[in-house]
Amino acid sequence: MMEPLVINIDVLSFVPSIALILATIGIYQSFAYLQNKTQLIWLNPMLLSIAAIIPLLLYFKLPFEQYFHSTQLLNNLLEPAVVALGFPLYQHLTSIKHQWQVLGLLLVLAVILVIVISFTLTTVFIALPEIAVSLSLKSITTPIGIELTQQLNGDTSITAFAIILAGLFGALLGPSWLNFINVKSAKAQGLAIGAASHALGTATISKISYEHGAYGSLSLIVCAVITALVSPFLINNLAVLFL
Amino acid sequence: MVKNAFYSTTIIAACLALGKFIAAYLGGLPASLYGMLIFTSVLHFQLVNPKKIAASISWIIQHMGVCFVPAGVGIINHYQLIKDHGFALVAIVFISTFTLLSFVGLTYQHLVINKDNCNN
Repeated sequence: MMEPLVINIDVLSFVPSIALILATIGIYQSFAYLQNKTQLIWLNPMLLSIAAIIPLLLYFKLPFEQYFHSTQLLNNLLEPAVVALGFPLYQHLTSIKHQWQVLGLLLVLAVILVIVISFTLTTVFIALPEIAVSLSLKSITTPIGIELTQQLNGDTSITAFAIILAGLFGALLGPSWLNFINVKSAKAQGLAIGAASHALGTATISKISYEHGAYGSLSLIVCAVITALVSPFLINNLAVLFL
Repeated sequence: MVKNAFYSTTIIAACLALGKFIAAYLGGLPASLYGMLIFTSVLHFQLVNPKKIAASISWIIQHMGVCFVPAGVGIINHYQLIKDHGFALVAIVFISTFTLLSFVGLTYQHLVINKDNCNN
């Protein structure tokens, strides 16, 4: 006779886990729907979900560690999400073929510049190494920023928060600022906003013109790859320099 | 539709598994980034049909935001940091974002204008 199949799942932790995951998705989807309806950039669903979940955890006296542990599944989906970003990278490979040297060099310099500035300012004014790592990685797309933060011992929640902030600044003020400093070419605006304000900025400027969107997404994905390549070396050396 | 979603999931899982393997042996990048570069390569060398996966990928990219919420909620443990350094934190993000915007925008526009002048 066959042995009965024993499924080794802790029912007590399994049920709240599903409930918390569904609640998180529900909250996020409601805010995503709200933004879709209103088309207001600052009604960012990620930011609003965080702002809504924090008081709920405090009200139900649920420690963050337990919430994070129960929703581990969502955090684990970060990895396949990063892999999926290979598709837009593939789509833009052909468009950078004839100018990849200029674009590559420009974006490498841009990435080094922003890491050095952010790391230095944070070290001088806040003086907490893990926050310096987080702020150095805030210009790139969230899944890659969080993965790199985990690798370089930064603080993922500060990275997530700073990434949203950088995205909102670029999305809300980027185009007017670029017009103000007389950067009016669609390609230049797209590249700048993709580099500084990743997907959030790019989604916003895609409405201005097709070229804005194409150069924005090209820039955001190339910058994320460059950041992944240079940040471990750069951040470790900056850390040695300051300590 | 379901078939294509299954096809996309399988390919992403395979790229990620290979990425984990490479990361374990070589180190350097996170496994997921190796996976992303492998995914780009298999598309570039036409080992995978991009038309079959396009819809699933855009669905993933559109909805991936929810995956970052738990990590973001971690800011709850930083009450003291926000209280002490909240302003500096926002100011640093502001300054570095606008420096980056200006650097990329001005440099690229300069290059484009110079190139156009050479062509004329």
